[in-house]
Amino acid sequence: MSAAPPIPSHAGRRARGLLPWALVLAVLCVAWQGALVTGLMAPELLPPLGEVVTTAVELLTRPSVMAHAGTTLAEVAVAFVIAVPLGLLLGIAIAESRYWSAVLKPVIFLVFSIPKTIFLPMFILAFGINFAQKVGFGVFSTIFIVLISAFSALDSVKAEHLRVARIYGATPRQVAWRVYLPSMAPVLLEAVRLAMMFNLTGILLAEMYAARSGLGQLVSNWGENFMLRELLAGILIISTAAILFNEAVRWLETRCEHWRA
Amino acid sequence: MTTLLQAPDRADRAAAPQTPAAGHVQVRGLGHTYDAAGRVTRALDGIELDIAPGRFVVIVGTSGCGKSSLLMMMTGLVSPSEGSITCGGMPMMAPDPDRVGVVFQEASLYPWLTAQQNVEFPLSLRKLPKAERAARARERLALVGLQGFEDRYPHELSGGMKQRVSIARGLVQDPPVLMLDEPFAALDEQTRITMGDELLRIWERTGKTVIFVTHSLTEAAYLADEIIVMSARPGRIVDRIEVDLPRPRTYAMMSTPRFAALRERIWGHIRNQAGE
Repeated sequence: MSAAPPIPSHAGRRARGLLPWALVLAVLCVAWQGALVTGLMAPELLPPLGEVVTTAVELLTRPSVMAHAGTTLAEVAVAFVIAVPLGLLLGIAIAESRYWSAVLKPVIFLVFSIPKTIFLPMFILAFGINFAQKVGFGVFSTIFIVLISAFSALDSVKAEHLRVARIYGATPRQVAWRVYLPSMAPVLLEAVRLAMMFNLTGILLAEMYAARSGLGQLVSNWGENFMLRELLAGILIISTAAILFNEAVRWLETRCEHWRA
Repeated sequence: MTTLLQAPDRADRAAAPQTPAAGHVQVRGLGHTYDAAGRVTRALDGIELDIAPGRFVVIVGTSGCGKSSLLMMMTGLVSPSEGSITCGGMPMMAPDPDRVGVVFQEASLYPWLTAQQNVEFPLSLRKLPKAERAARARERLALVGLQGFEDRYPHELSGGMKQRVSIARGLVQDPPVLMLDEPFAALDEQTRITMGDELLRIWERTGKTVIFVTHSLTEAAYLADEIIVMSARPGRIVDRIEVDLPRPRTYAMMSTPRFAALRERIWGHIRNQAGE
């Protein structure tokens, strides 16, 4: 690597990556407190930031809240574990068959464009208000984006790369692991990220609409009862969790894509 | 016709003993017809080739004449509808990396593998000991002049360097025959000439049979012992030209009358095709 051009250090790049984040956070805090100081927002509508953060910490230690969070986490996890592998396998099976591609791809794209929200009442009618209904709606909200990601993941496999593998005598298994998987990895990880967004949205919505437990139900109750400190603290907690998951997968993506220009 | 350099001493390559005829490629009565959406197309017709071991043969023709298809058939990747192909006396029914190494156009390296890993790829498919794999790949990379670039990813390499990696990969199993499908087509003019010289140097050092497909008349005349000129569809062989330019070839030869006459002769065939 004698002639290698200098590559910026990891620490340096990370610091630069964090800077905009810190700026956005700072602006948010200043705007929040500024709105209170100038009287733009009444403290009943926007409690001071410090109080919201303290409430968030307190909520995280409250066993009842943790029980609700457990329900939501379980629903999200089960729906995710069903929707992502099922969507990928189905998507790959459909894309690999010329007949089913022609029949199903247009249908899937059409259904993808419909807001899934409007089907929520039907899930309640079919399942009742329970765990299965939440998971079912979560899967339904998620699977279309996974199917579409699977299609584009397969499209990202280059014919030239497959040809090289065949020229050098790769077995179908080797082609799958050594060519398909690395070619598809970036798109698949992106699919995981998008799937989680759709999944979380679907399940929280189902909980807010009708549920006996779960963070969505909790947040909805706080709102109805004008408990703004709890409401904003809940929003803060859920947002942070969603962002952390998203960033963790993005970090994996950049690790898998280091070879990209 | 000047005789070419002999293959160097191969005593160190005990792994794949190569009989003198190993690099002998024969194509007999090859024709190809395909049916795309109900339209039957005759792509290749009456192709006969007899390529002696160690020869540098260039197949030239306009785009769409079937020269790349013909090459893919010779690699065993595609089956012709008629005729037979043998390499080292054995039919090429499927790709066989022990007999034929292949170099494609620029985009054929795996972008997620380093240069070293790309060259090792064919070996890694066949459970060779890691140390041996690495040693062979390093040796091949050195042969193509890429010592010190083992850990670079393709996006960190220039177009010419990528093609050097492709050539190293094609040679990593030490096949007696190397087939190249327009390998320098995506390169700029200067790099193209440099890469041509590089390929000639590698060929002279290894003594491989080289079959090279291109649409460039200059490239054909500069590199070849023998030029096979193909007609437009259906692809037929319209001329076989023994190139009597001395070796080593030099850039200065391109401006000699002999070189011009060669180009003129190929161009004559291609122009006739276009006129039809």
